Amino acid sequence: MRYLRPKSIPELQEILMKENGNDYSILAGGTDLMPRYRTGLQLPEIAIDIKILPGYCGISEENGSIEIGALVTIEDIRKNHLIQKDLPCLSQACHEFAGTQIRNRATIGGNICNASPAGDLLPGLYLYSAELQLISAFGSRKLPIEDFILGPGKTALKPGEILVSIHLKNQFDNSRFYKLGLRQSMAISVINYAMGWSVVEKSISKLAIMAGSVAPTIVSLDGCCKSFLAMENDESIAENIAKDIFPIDDIRATAKYRQQVLKNLILHDLRKFPG
Amino acid sequence: MIKVTLNINDFDRTLLVEPDENLLYTLRERLLLTGTKKGCDQASCGTCTVLMDKKPILSCITPTLRCEGKSIHTIESVAKNGKLHPIQDQLVKHGGLQCGFCTPGFVMTSIEFLEENKNPTESEIKEALSGNLCRCTGYKKIIEAVKAASEDMK
Repeated sequence: MRYLRPKSIPELQEILMKENGNDYSILAGGTDLMPRYRTGLQLPEIAIDIKILPGYCGISEENGSIEIGALVTIEDIRKNHLIQKDLPCLSQACHEFAGTQIRNRATIGGNICNASPAGDLLPGLYLYSAELQLISAFGSRKLPIEDFILGPGKTALKPGEILVSIHLKNQFDNSRFYKLGLRQSMAISVINYAMGWSVVEKSISKLAIMAGSVAPTIVSLDGCCKSFLAMENDESIAENIAKDIFPIDDIRATAKYRQQVLKNLILHDLRKFPG
Repeated sequence: MIKVTLNINDFDRTLLVEPDENLLYTLRERLLLTGTKKGCDQASCGTCTVLMDKKPILSCITPTLRCEGKSIHTIESVAKNGKLHPIQDQLVKHGGLQCGFCTPGFVMTSIEFLEENKNPTESEIKEALSGNLCRCTGYKKIIEAVKAASEDMK
């Protein structure tokens, strides 16, 4: 393995141009790449370490929109008051994210670019309509997260392009994140979801649910939300949940279990709402 | 091999390391600091925890080359002049270990946690230690020891 450590964005862009077509991996926190490397599963020929790049490691607010640098660690997001106040799903997901040692190294950019169907930050990022800022030697562009994540481990990143920041806006009065794992910590989610809602005159005016680990990418349970807002009964809400998800059997759970438990949890949540 | 300089337990060390070498290997095999244990070697168990710039990290998934210029503290730096750190002292008093293999990791994670949180609740302690596994005795006595150490450190 060759190890490269650019000290500036232009230097990084030069490396990316030169290594275009070669087997490289970008190393941010390294908490996913390194265990895979240790167990001999995936060996990129070249590791490009971007952790010391200046910038991209802060959290700021402008005009009601929050910007998070791609190199911000999970622990920094967990402790950030702005995020606790305005983006509770992210804050909650960071509390349930692995353990302290991993949270100190893992980055939000890494969690997104990994594009795991079970990524714990992802449902919240979808709920808060995350827009991702990408740069390359040829310029920059912004993509909504649902256009960026294409499937397990697949993103819309072009060769030579990197993710530098995430822009978020919470359009809900309330939101929460829920994770079901086989144990409370250090566990990959069996299912997870983020739910956002607003209340007008004691009834739900707006509702969205983003579910993870039940399809190749995060899915928005639109049918279920519409069905709830139209005051349909539990059976048709459950049917609509089933229509939107495509769970699989894996080492953590069966598809059947995932489908049943997601229905149960969401119906349980919805019953607590007024109206 | 590549030259790297890092500060380990308050001493600057310059070493030649392999590009894919992890900090755990460098500590144990090159510097003979074997207090840091190798457990799963794939970021699941927490026994290889050390402090990098005062924050707990897993040395098994940290390439040594990424530690250039960083300060690393291992379990060997914790007791000062033969006197145990309060968390070590309380682990002994509470019997918070049996085989002791996971203990260095628990101590390193707890040290930073107690610096940040002077008055931790049980659930905060559990959350802080959630990345460390113990396969002998369970967690009750470890949690009690951390709580008692927080009182000692006031």
